[in-house]
Amino acid sequence: MALPKRIIKETERLVAEPVPGINAVPHEDNLRYFDVTIHGPTQSPYEGGIFRLELFLPEDYPMTPPKIRFLTKIYHPNIDKLGRICLDVLKGNWSPALQIRTILLSIQALLGAPNPDDPLANDVAQRWKEDEKAAIETARAWTVTHAKV
Amino acid sequence: MESSINPSAKKRSFDSPPSELSPPLEDSLLLPTQNMEKPSHIDSDGGLDSRFDQEFKSIVGGDLSIDALRQLEEVSGGDIQRAINMYFDGSWKTMAPKKRKIFHDMSVSVADTGSSKSPKNIPSKIFLGQFGADGWATRSGSKLLSFGDVVGIERQRMRLGDTVPSAGGKSKGKALVADSSQQGGAIGGKSTPLRQRKTQDIVVRFTNSRGEEIGRLAQDTASFVSTLIDQGIAYFEGVCIHAAEKIRTNDTIDLQLSCYLLKESFENSSFRPADTNRVADIFAAKETQDERTLRLRQVALVKLFQKMNLEPKSTNLVTQKHKAAGILQAAEIAEQHEITNISTANKARKTITSDAADESGDEENQSVEEGKELEEDQLNALYQKAQSFNSDTPEAEPADTFAMSLRRYQKQALHWFLSKEKSTNNRVNESIHPLWEEYQWPNTEEDHKKVIRDLGQDSFYVNPYSGELSLKFPKQEQNCLGGILADEMGLGKTIEMLSLIHTHRPEPPSPSIHPTSGFGRLQRQSEDVVPAPFTTLVVAPMSLLAQWESEAEAASKPGTLKTLLYYDSQKKQNLQSLCNASNAANAPNLIITSYGVVLSEFGQVVASGGKRGAHGGLFSVRFFRVILDEAHHIKNRTSKSAKACYELSSDHRWVLTGTPIVNRLEDLFSLVRFLRVEPWSNFSFWKTFITVPFEEKDFIRALDVVQTVLEPLVLRRTKEMRTLDGEPLVPLPKKTTEIVYIKLSKAELDVYRHIEARARSDLARSIEMGTVLKSYTNIFAHVLRLRQACCHPILIRKKEIVDDEMVAEAEYDAAKGFSDDMDLNALIDRYSAEESSASPNLYGANALKEIRDNVENECPMCLSDPMPDQTVTGCLHAACKGCWAHLIETAKTKQELPRCVKCREPINERDLFEVIRSDSPAEEGSQPGSSQGQADITLRRINSRSSAKIEMLVEKLSEVGRSYPERKSCVFSQFTTFLDLIEKELQRRRIKFLRFDGSMSQQKRAEVVNTFKMGQGTNVLLLSLRAGGVGLNLTTASQVFMMDPWWSFAVEAQAIDRVHRMGQTSDVMVYRFVVEGTVEERMVHTIQARKKFIASSLGMMTDEEKKRARMEDIKILLGK
Repeated sequence: MALPKRIIKETERLVAEPVPGINAVPHEDNLRYFDVTIHGPTQSPYEGGIFRLELFLPEDYPMTPPKIRFLTKIYHPNIDKLGRICLDVLKGNWSPALQIRTILLSIQALLGAPNPDDPLANDVAQRWKEDEKAAIETARAWTVTHAKV
Repeated sequence: MESSINPSAKKRSFDSPPSELSPPLEDSLLLPTQNMEKPSHIDSDGGLDSRFDQEFKSIVGGDLSIDALRQLEEVSGGDIQRAINMYFDGSWKTMAPKKRKIFHDMSVSVADTGSSKSPKNIPSKIFLGQFGADGWATRSGSKLLSFGDVVGIERQRMRLGDTVPSAGGKSKGKALVADSSQQGGAIGGKSTPLRQRKTQDIVVRFTNSRGEEIGRLAQDTASFVSTLIDQGIAYFEGVCIHAAEKIRTNDTIDLQLSCYLLKESFENSSFRPADTNRVADIFAAKETQDERTLRLRQVALVKLFQKMNLEPKSTNLVTQKHKAAGILQAAEIAEQHEITNISTANKARKTITSDAADESGDEENQSVEEGKELEEDQLNALYQKAQSFNSDTPEAEPADTFAMSLRRYQKQALHWFLSKEKSTNNRVNESIHPLWEEYQWPNTEEDHKKVIRDLGQDSFYVNPYSGELSLKFPKQEQNCLGGILADEMGLGKTIEMLSLIHTHRPEPPSPSIHPTSGFGRLQRQSEDVVPAPFTTLVVAPMSLLAQWESEAEAASKPGTLKTLLYYDSQKKQNLQSLCNASNAANAPNLIITSYGVVLSEFGQVVASGGKRGAHGGLFSVRFFRVILDEAHHIKNRTSKSAKACYELSSDHRWVLTGTPIVNRLEDLFSLVRFLRVEPWSNFSFWKTFITVPFEEKDFIRALDVVQTVLEPLVLRRTKEMRTLDGEPLVPLPKKTTEIVYIKLSKAELDVYRHIEARARSDLARSIEMGTVLKSYTNIFAHVLRLRQACCHPILIRKKEIVDDEMVAEAEYDAAKGFSDDMDLNALIDRYSAEESSASPNLYGANALKEIRDNVENECPMCLSDPMPDQTVTGCLHAACKGCWAHLIETAKTKQELPRCVKCREPINERDLFEVIRSDSPAEEGSQPGSSQGQADITLRRINSRSSAKIEMLVEKLSEVGRSYPERKSCVFSQFTTFLDLIEKELQRRRIKFLRFDGSMSQQKRAEVVNTFKMGQGTNVLLLSLRAGGVGLNLTTASQVFMMDPWWSFAVEAQAIDRVHRMGQTSDVMVYRFVVEGTVEERMVHTIQARKKFIASSLGMMTDEEKKRARMEDIKILLGK
């Protein structure tokens, strides 16, 4: 099936006007499948880390949201150990007006502002609430261990 | 004999029979005074003097000298009737006296008479046959008559004074037939007036050998025997078969009658001259009298032949179809018709008189036109009969001087023209005249054989339509060296004629060309009509004169055709000196003039007492050829134009018209009259044999006769005709047909499936119960609903419910301040004005401004820039239309509420508005950014009451509108309710359209078609398949949309042909809308394909059979 114009256009723009700290490159054999890297936001426990994600645009994209998962291990209350992300715009709040770029920005923002009240990884969220400092320390440690190139 | 040599004498009423045989009964019939005392025996030599004088004077009334009387008596041989005739035609003065022979014995044998004197060796009477008849005794007595006795058959006459015998009693059929106007002057008021008998006197008596009257023939026999005797057609004698020894009054006597045809009856058989049509006397009573005599004679002959079981030896197809009964019936009808019409005719005559006084000359005086209007189907039948054109008729090449190239059918026309104009030379196929039948003489007995030997031929000919007899073979006379070119408009009649003018032009000089006989009075009175042997005259309506001139120029190589526009300033030229044979070098080849000029010159010639030559105009020369263009101008034979044209003289006569019959058969008569086709150019002949049967609904007969008139005379091709290879005569521009497959929206499909399921289960149930045909209507209704659902789901819903919903929607709109069409700027003003309230409205105003100013023009969903069909939601967010539709569709399948992609507000499907920019003023240099001088922008609701089909139509129409703004489209649907919906949609889209359907008056329809043709900017015409499918010419359009398939494609094809037909100049695009996977698709692919092989539409099936066939269709349609 031919690739919709929208996907082509988005891909072109990602290449032409890259977002600082975010990089998304489609697979050559599957243009709906992207290798994504996100730089951890400054002043976050993830600063200095480069996180790899995979992004897949489903058949009825943009009517349905893209499927995104962290490949790099990350300690975050809204991201589980399989890398799945809890983010409203990837679920019910998705709108076809959103794009790969915007959604990746949202994820980057999520790294800077974890929301333990809406957890996906329950144990992490618990820790975050009980001892935020220790949790942040763990996150930073994970970043060094897993996300440093 | 002498009288028959002189042709004019033949027309006289008291034409004299040959003196060799004057059966005595003739005398008795002529002179009723003799009847009673001396019925059958006249002593011709003795005692004649006083009585001859007496009788002669009593009839003629003049005082003649004794010498004159004696001479008359001598030349007439004592025959008073003959004497009277000779007296009036003046021949008695020059004639040598002649010995008169009278045979007293009625059964005198034919061989005894001096038949050798006859130039053609015709015996004076010829045995025809025998038949049985009843007689009634009028007296009593014994041994009056016995078996084997010869019986004399005589006419019984009323006493003089009771009734004046109408016309001559003895062999005087022609007395009535003839043009009595000629004798009118001579006899004046003293002549025997042709008073009409109130009741027909048909008494025929029979006498025994002693001359005593025994009785009368029974009425059925007498009715025709009387006529035959009166009109001198036949002579009867009888033999008694059975009679009682003692006869009492009213007893029946069986007779065997032998019938002999009289020689005179054959001599009589020429058609009357054409000038009975003379201008003044159209409705004169004597014409009616002519007809009446003709009819009596005809009926009598047919009855006689019936009685004797005579069958024609050879006839043609036409006469075969009209058995004797048919002819009799027609005659009877004519009789009644005559009676009822006498008053009308009188009225008509009055109209004419007043009309004639009115010199303004309004030719198309409707009140004068007789004849009922023809129904369209009758006209079609007629034309079909008249079309003798065969696609493989030979062609002829035009002369070198002709500068244009002809199409094949035009070359065929040329060939036909040439063969018509030159047909005098090569009359190869001598076929019997269509109205005549050939009979064989009976030759069973020796006596008769001898007669036939004397005669030299064993057959004779009868015209059962006129009652005429002939010994000569009546061939189909074609003395008209021209014809009617009735090609349909647009096939190039003018060019065809011009090719003839070029190709058949006479060799100069040919002094032999001389007016032939058959001319009207004008001609005879003024002998100096000069031949114009090189000149063709074209008479055309004023408006076409210039066109003729330019076409003639275009069609001729330079210098090969001298053309003269004979009109106004040129009028002064003397045509006699210009066109005569000696002026061959300078004579114009073509003179073009108008009907008006012909009419006015005719008036001048008439005013000058018919001096044609002196006038020097159109009537002073005899043209080589006359062509009347748009000849229906002379369709009214009583109009002055028509009469004027009749009088134009020429060798060849042609009429051009696309409509030889406008609405009455009489229209055709006038053309035939102009062409001088005998015998049809005689109006009473025409009327008797064509008009009357036609008006009495005896169409087949009338049409067949018309066919025999038309076929050799008319060349008519229609645009529908094809050449041998099936190509149209004139190739049309290309036609491309595309089936547009349409996908129903989900909502539409749901509705469709629902009905489909019900229809299938109903059908299955009826098949199970074997009541398929009973529930036909019900199931058929299902199919109808399915087809409607394909067009628009609303069509199948109850109108009231739809109306209710519309009211609810209107209320909703009122609350929201929306409507189907909103002006953007007005909307912005409204939002800006609501400043007091909170942000939404300010936002609204801004959002709208953005739309107006094209600030953001990328679709948030598909990222197209600019977005196609920009559409905003109720929350005023924009995206392309297709994306919104997709979004809504996806949400529905997920059973979610569709939400705006920007603000996530729920989207109301109705509140989607397309942004329509009318770009006309935008060209005026106004930048998209500037708010001033903005183009008109409207927000137009998209989702209201539309359907997939309508959407597709609108899409196609606007597509075309963008790329070819001039192109016009016709949209056909069989559902007028669907047209209503399309109409609404077009209104909303501001696409201008017109509508044509069956509910409109004829006048309104014409108006619509005209506006569509002429109108600029109105490029769409909506038509109902039924009303617009036939007859119309819509060649201004070049696109056709067939919104829904019909059972048979032929009906659709007919509609398509309204656009793709003669006159179409551009390629035609046809879109047939078919909804995928529905009954429509099956109709197109299965039913329509099969229909090509079934003759159901030809009316060969009964209703029941049709139902069955249709039921089969339905099973296919509802099949899975």
